[in-house]
Amino acid sequence: MTFAHLRIRKNTLKYVIPFVIGSIVLTQSACVSVTLERDEIENYLLAQQPEQALSTLESHQLKERNKSLYLLDKAMLLRMQNQFEDSNKVFEKAKKLTRKLDAISLREQAAAISINDSQRSYLPQNFEQVLVHCFQAINHLQLQQYADARVEVLQLSELLKQKDDIQMPFARYLSGLVFESNQEPDNALISYRKAYQAYSSYSSAIPLILKKDLLRLTDYLQLNDEHQKFLDEFDLEVWPKQQDIDQQAHAVAVVFNGLMPRKHSFEINVQSPSDGQLHRISTPFYEHRAAKVYGAELSSESLNTSSELIAQLDNQARTALNNEMPSIIARTIARVSIKNTAVDETKDNLPLLSLALNIAAILTEQADTRAWNTLPQQVLIMRLSLPAGNHDLKLNLLGSSLPDNIQTWKQVNMTKGESRFFSYHSPDSYVTQRKP
Amino acid sequence: MKNQWAKNFTLIAAISAGFILNGCSTTVKRLDSGEVTDLSGEWNDTDSRLVSEEMIRDVLSRPWINRFISENGNRPAVIVGGIRNLSHEHMNVATFINDIERELINSGEIDFVASKLERGEIRDERKDQELNASNETAKQMGQEYGADFMLKGSINTILDSIDDEQVRFYQIDLNLISLADNRKVWAGQKKIKKLIEKSAFRL
Repeated sequence: MTFAHLRIRKNTLKYVIPFVIGSIVLTQSACVSVTLERDEIENYLLAQQPEQALSTLESHQLKERNKSLYLLDKAMLLRMQNQFEDSNKVFEKAKKLTRKLDAISLREQAAAISINDSQRSYLPQNFEQVLVHCFQAINHLQLQQYADARVEVLQLSELLKQKDDIQMPFARYLSGLVFESNQEPDNALISYRKAYQAYSSYSSAIPLILKKDLLRLTDYLQLNDEHQKFLDEFDLEVWPKQQDIDQQAHAVAVVFNGLMPRKHSFEINVQSPSDGQLHRISTPFYEHRAAKVYGAELSSESLNTSSELIAQLDNQARTALNNEMPSIIARTIARVSIKNTAVDETKDNLPLLSLALNIAAILTEQADTRAWNTLPQQVLIMRLSLPAGNHDLKLNLLGSSLPDNIQTWKQVNMTKGESRFFSYHSPDSYVTQRKP
Repeated sequence: MKNQWAKNFTLIAAISAGFILNGCSTTVKRLDSGEVTDLSGEWNDTDSRLVSEEMIRDVLSRPWINRFISENGNRPAVIVGGIRNLSHEHMNVATFINDIERELINSGEIDFVASKLERGEIRDERKDQELNASNETAKQMGQEYGADFMLKGSINTILDSIDDEQVRFYQIDLNLISLADNRKVWAGQKKIKKLIEKSAFRL
């Protein structure tokens, strides 16, 4: 059946056209509202005011299809305020919802094919799902709930097994740290090995901290051949021995640096020379950002250590988008084709409706620019080994333009062989390029 | 014709309203605590109860208990130590420990000693009694009953998934260890296997 065959009375236009226009206005205003909310949250984060960002997030009307994003942002903003227990409760909700959203909704797929991709519920990207476990594990580590952190890295490992298309060296390295906190050096070594393989597969530099851990554990577990292989490859003469590690306490600080670049839409508008019909194709792309902090130093009394870059999360995000692009383009072409058919079918009998549909088709054709925007851009890590006892720790952010660029943790009591975890978010960053 | 249309419209509106109202309401149904309710497939109250009942039945039926009574002339005193969650799930291990404690105490075949946390609180109370209670009613320090055995264990899982199906295998290991000489006098094991099928579609 075609549109021309439908018996649409002329006075139906009185209702259809306002309906089409109303839908456009609603879609456009919703889009503007989301952008304004994102701008506001970003501004608060750049000013190091996560509590204001959270108030903004909670004050806006929540659409059911964006609920997973809301939960992810909320959990992140809570952890930025050191509310780790609450953050984990919200992350758990996000995880449950993600499992539910993993199933296909035919209704949402139909809406995505006929209106735009934003009509679907936001299903966190694979790398975002992995990061949920990472942040939960870090929350547990900071709360000294090592067994619970272990549960997270087991779930993480299971997820990475299922989503074999992603390599997350940071997640693997974190798993190693968690196993070591649970006194499981053999499992820790397996995770460090996987981290090493993941870094190698990306042709990324192997962080020094990982090289030292691999040398230490292969030596401790008497895996002599593997130890020699790492020795030859890393060209390191000094690394801490397990016996020394057992005699000291360790402060591990993680800096979540910068802000994940936001997604924008890139539009191509074309007018058909034959019938004057307008066509639009809209695809998402990530802007480019730069973090102002270029490094960090952790110190206590006369001892100090410098940070190392362990994850570049915006690269993960770009890779995920590139991998998804063929299906985004396929859906866009299908959608444009459906919208054009509707316009063509009504052109002869109902030209006014045809015009309204054409305008609607163009204005509703918007790329899905939703993403977990409160994520950091980079992860920096450092470990400071100290004698057991009470210590004041000082984290100095290098390059920060904000006045509170020094974070301190006072009178931290650390026992022999123990690792204590600390983290700090520094969203201070700026956009360098907003072009595809 | 017009009437027919009106009738149909009323019917559709009534059904839609019914669906909407049903979707908005919260329903609560009381269940028997012994009823098996598997919703997500994760470790739940039923698993905790069934495992504790079965393992305690096993521990109390083994020869170590009679051997102890014949050697010492009294019932063994047991304490529950740590039970490690080595599984893929965040579990409330405390409810599992409580289930085990309840089964052991109610069996009447052993004496049961309060846990480390509980003992601390009771010692504080005794200290307080030394200062504030009358001599006749104050309880003395140093009169605690020492446990003979400690029950320790772990909960492990193995997952196997493909597409929308997952097999969850739980293995619960408990050991009863003599506090006098570290001998393991009993080792119990319980396995649970669950097949979880996830729907590929949703509304």
